[in-house]
Amino acid sequence: MLSFIIRRAAASIPVLLLVSLITFGLLWLVPGDPAAILLDASATPEALERVRRELGLDQPFLVRMGQWYWRILHGDLGNSLLLNRSVASAIVERLPVTLSLTALAFVFAALVGIAAGVTAAVRHGRAADQSVMMLALLGLSIPEFWLGLVLIWGLAVGAGLFPAGGYVPFSENPVEWARHVALPAFTLACVQMGFIARMTRSSMLEVLGQDFIRTARAKGLPESTLVMQHGLANAMVPVVTVMGIMVGGLLGNAVVTEQVFAIPGVGRLIIGAVLSRDFPVIQGGLLYLALIYLVVNLIVDVLYAVIDPRVRLG
Amino acid sequence: MKTMFSRFALAMAAAVAFTAPAMAQKQGGDVVIAMTQAPPSLDPHASSAQVARNVNLHMFETLYARDENAKPVPDLAEGATISPDGLTYVFALRKDVKFHNGKMMGSADVAASLERFRKGGASAALLAAIDSITASGPNEVTVKLKSVQSTFLGNLSSPRSPIAIIPAEEAAKPIGQASPIGTGPFKFVEYKPDSHVKIEKFADYKPNPAYKERDGFAGAKIVYLNSVTFRFIPEAGARNAALESGQVQLNETSDSPTAKRLKDNPAFTVIPVLPFSMQVVKFNHAQAPGSDANFRRAVALAIDPEEIMAVSYPDIYKLDYAWVYGGSAYHSDRGKWKTDIAAAKAELAKSGYKGEKLAYIVDNTRPSVDVATVMQQQLAQIGVNIDIKVADWPTVSKVGFTDEGWNFWTHGFGIEPFEGPASVIAPWVKGVSQRKTDPVIDGLFDKINTEMSVEGQKKIFDQFQDHMSKEAVALNIGNYGLFQIASSKLKNFKAYRIPRMWGVWLD
Repeated sequence: MLSFIIRRAAASIPVLLLVSLITFGLLWLVPGDPAAILLDASATPEALERVRRELGLDQPFLVRMGQWYWRILHGDLGNSLLLNRSVASAIVERLPVTLSLTALAFVFAALVGIAAGVTAAVRHGRAADQSVMMLALLGLSIPEFWLGLVLIWGLAVGAGLFPAGGYVPFSENPVEWARHVALPAFTLACVQMGFIARMTRSSMLEVLGQDFIRTARAKGLPESTLVMQHGLANAMVPVVTVMGIMVGGLLGNAVVTEQVFAIPGVGRLIIGAVLSRDFPVIQGGLLYLALIYLVVNLIVDVLYAVIDPRVRLG
Repeated sequence: MKTMFSRFALAMAAAVAFTAPAMAQKQGGDVVIAMTQAPPSLDPHASSAQVARNVNLHMFETLYARDENAKPVPDLAEGATISPDGLTYVFALRKDVKFHNGKMMGSADVAASLERFRKGGASAALLAAIDSITASGPNEVTVKLKSVQSTFLGNLSSPRSPIAIIPAEEAAKPIGQASPIGTGPFKFVEYKPDSHVKIEKFADYKPNPAYKERDGFAGAKIVYLNSVTFRFIPEAGARNAALESGQVQLNETSDSPTAKRLKDNPAFTVIPVLPFSMQVVKFNHAQAPGSDANFRRAVALAIDPEEIMAVSYPDIYKLDYAWVYGGSAYHSDRGKWKTDIAAAKAELAKSGYKGEKLAYIVDNTRPSVDVATVMQQQLAQIGVNIDIKVADWPTVSKVGFTDEGWNFWTHGFGIEPFEGPASVIAPWVKGVSQRKTDPVIDGLFDKINTEMSVEGQKKIFDQFQDHMSKEAVALNIGNYGLFQIASSKLKNFKAYRIPRMWGVWLD
């Protein structure tokens, strides 16, 4: 198992290098000027040129790329052009925010999605099944930014149950943290909930139709044991795959949710960096996202073996 | 006798104005302001962005500052003595001013701050006329100019990128790295990236004794609040939601439909801030057909500013052809023109334009795109073929300061018309904005910089406006504003260039 993990981790390095190369090349092609963000609309070309020089933007492409790789090899993502801090510290200070938001959304999506999918499969063809599938389709179809705004107006402005935005760290006040992340986490989870519910339902229907389930039922096993222990356990492999992909989706969609709910997370950092052309932050942020994708994929591969003993790791 | 009476009446009026609301004033409370974005830097010398001003001018002060009508008046200085040749300025400093770190402000701090700004400040050109800066006494600083500059005190008091006075040890740090330590009525508490900046009342702050009331960026800055938090909420709907749910007490930029909806709601006060910016359309003079005055005049005659502004800034615009805001001593109606399609076609026929597609670059904010779209429709009437190219601000501003890739560019001039004539003329000097040197404008800029009398400056500025109009160097479409919405618990708030939190209190 250990050698498998090491092999998979080593195979990730070329992927990360490729991501960084593509990111660097694309950013070079994108027009735009970080100096224009620091100065106002009527800044003189001389002032803009001076700021560009101070930010190191006057260097040729190859020099900047060489510097970038040299720094990465030394574990340094460089310094933000505008935030007056290193890229690593800018990401690290926002990481707990994004991780706590996506973790909560993951729990929401997994618990509700699996429960709904199992219910729909067990009540196949009945009203409960149709209701769950309709809600799942709705969840998949609603744009996040719209759902976020509707929830803000309904539950924050209208009912006053939640704050309309912002973030309080868990370490500062756990209750306020929960109040602040509840709506954005639910918003973020909604699409994935529908996705998991549909996947769980179809996987469960396939498993519940197999001979060993009929045999177990004939033996007189209670229905709950039959569904949960024999049905769900065997239906989980494709669901786990979906949940692995879901982590990536949650991190990607967190960009929109953080913007709507004014949450200071990594997604908002990257959006801000894109809008202000803070190149080192964009490159560092995307590298971090790629790294998380790779780690999650590795975890999913390992989980296959844990859930299904038939899967043997090479 | 008449003068004495006037003075007495003025003093009484000031006393009444100052003491009348005193009964209602309440100490304490925390105000949260929703802002569209975070300041690029809290180093006051590093940025000239509006969002940076909003925060920094609560913590930092300048030697001279603009009053309510944009006139330069002393702030950290008691005043300035100008030598007869106009080349030497001796600033007497206020003696009771403390920095947020407890240190008393002295001439070394002032000299170091001015030196730092003129070498690397975001708007270093403001101090380009300085030859030397000397701490000539414990509370006196002497500035020598290379040549006479009538706008020197105006430049020194510019809020654009404030020439803030900071401790000498902070001024020794590179631009962008100074800690937020100033002399202002609020001091820095914390900056949570992408979330908020919090400032609190500076307990040792002494309002300038020369004034009785709040007056622009100067005046008596009396703080009643305990703290102010500037929260960054980019999404417009989320900003309104935060205001309506009571999480914030002031939405610094709201949209017109929300302003209309809340106008009659007693829980809120809708404050139109007009004028806040001037909509300018630039031509690229380095490329045909923008290089041809006949073409530019044809465009000026073909467009209908009323329609453009009504579509782009519904409920918050004012047609004004002057290149400074109303209320300024330099304001006039000289640039006025009338839409005349027949005359526009005649002017277009004189130009070399043959119907080719022209690039209209515009940033991706809705009003700017609306301006370009309405102009596209209006100019189609005379056969001008426009292709609108929308991009974000960093992209557009990079293209717009080059000679190629654009023919028209529209955006707002916010601070320049507030600052006055020299600031308005400056962007056109050496052809920076229109991409081709215009000797008339360059000459007028030199003249206004050395003309000391307001009357003389007004005459020169009139010539500038006439030239802009006659040659259609660029078009001033009109002034637009923004809506600020405050909780009705926030008392005595008065809109200005920044959302000032001194002189206000929470009920």
